[in-house]
Amino acid sequence: MKMLRKGKRGDTDILIQNVIFIVLNIAYGFILLFFVFTKTGDAAVLEEKYAKQIALLIDSAEPGMSIHLNMEDAIDVAEKKNIPVNEIVKITENTVTVKLENGQGHSYFFFNNIEATANFDTLTKKEYYFVISEK
Amino acid sequence: MLIKQNNKKGGEKVISVYWFIILFLVAGAIVYMVGSFYGKPYDVRQIEADLLASKASKCVSYAGYLNEEILEPQFLENFPESCAITFKGAEERYSLKLNLTNLSSGERLFETEKGNINLKFSCGLKGENLPFCLERSFYVIDKNNNQYRADILSIVGRA
Repeated sequence: MKMLRKGKRGDTDILIQNVIFIVLNIAYGFILLFFVFTKTGDAAVLEEKYAKQIALLIDSAEPGMSIHLNMEDAIDVAEKKNIPVNEIVKITENTVTVKLENGQGHSYFFFNNIEATANFDTLTKKEYYFVISEK
Repeated sequence: MLIKQNNKKGGEKVISVYWFIILFLVAGAIVYMVGSFYGKPYDVRQIEADLLASKASKCVSYAGYLNEEILEPQFLENFPESCAITFKGAEERYSLKLNLTNLSSGERLFETEKGNINLKFSCGLKGENLPFCLERSFYVIDKNNNQYRADILSIVGRA
């Protein structure tokens, strides 16, 4: 990379410069990766993802079904933000609301005219299950 | 990175300026791409329209035979609730149209449309924010082997 024609002192200087340069580049790369990972695991993104997923599950369900959904990543985020895990998913009328941080959460409508209840699975502690019954 | 022997210090300074520009460009591109990807809502309208049409078709036909309850006047009065579908609270986002034609006589037995009837005017147009339209047609027979054709149009607008 560099053409060296210097004595020992110059060699050390160039070595230190290169080490600093490489360390700074690695740090830069890590900062970018950290940004991307924080964005993908962002509470707002997970709220929207799960609200829509649950609404679609309910839309495709029939009375008598019980649906288990692994929500480990969302539960981890809610615990970090001090949201009670049994209050993450709420179903009122025909709307699913997922809340992983302080605020309103994300709500999504489902058109299936059935009764759905959301329950936190206290055995696995990483799932929610939805019980579907007739209205 | 640098192979230059004349005026080495000045050259390195110029290179480092370019290097910083490249770093900023790369960071800017990543931030822009992540922002544009995660900034948009997940689009599930196509799945919703498909589920809505499936639910309506299950209501019209069961195990290959016409559900004869749909020919009763109460069915149309209570549609779409009579098919276990409700738009209550989100009427502006959904539209469901159902036609049933007797193929032997050519007579249209009924035509009903519920939800936001204005959404259908956007069908066929192209645009990210326009409602998603899904048309389905199928044939069904009754217990006396009379043939019918059901046409379903389900439309889901942006949330």
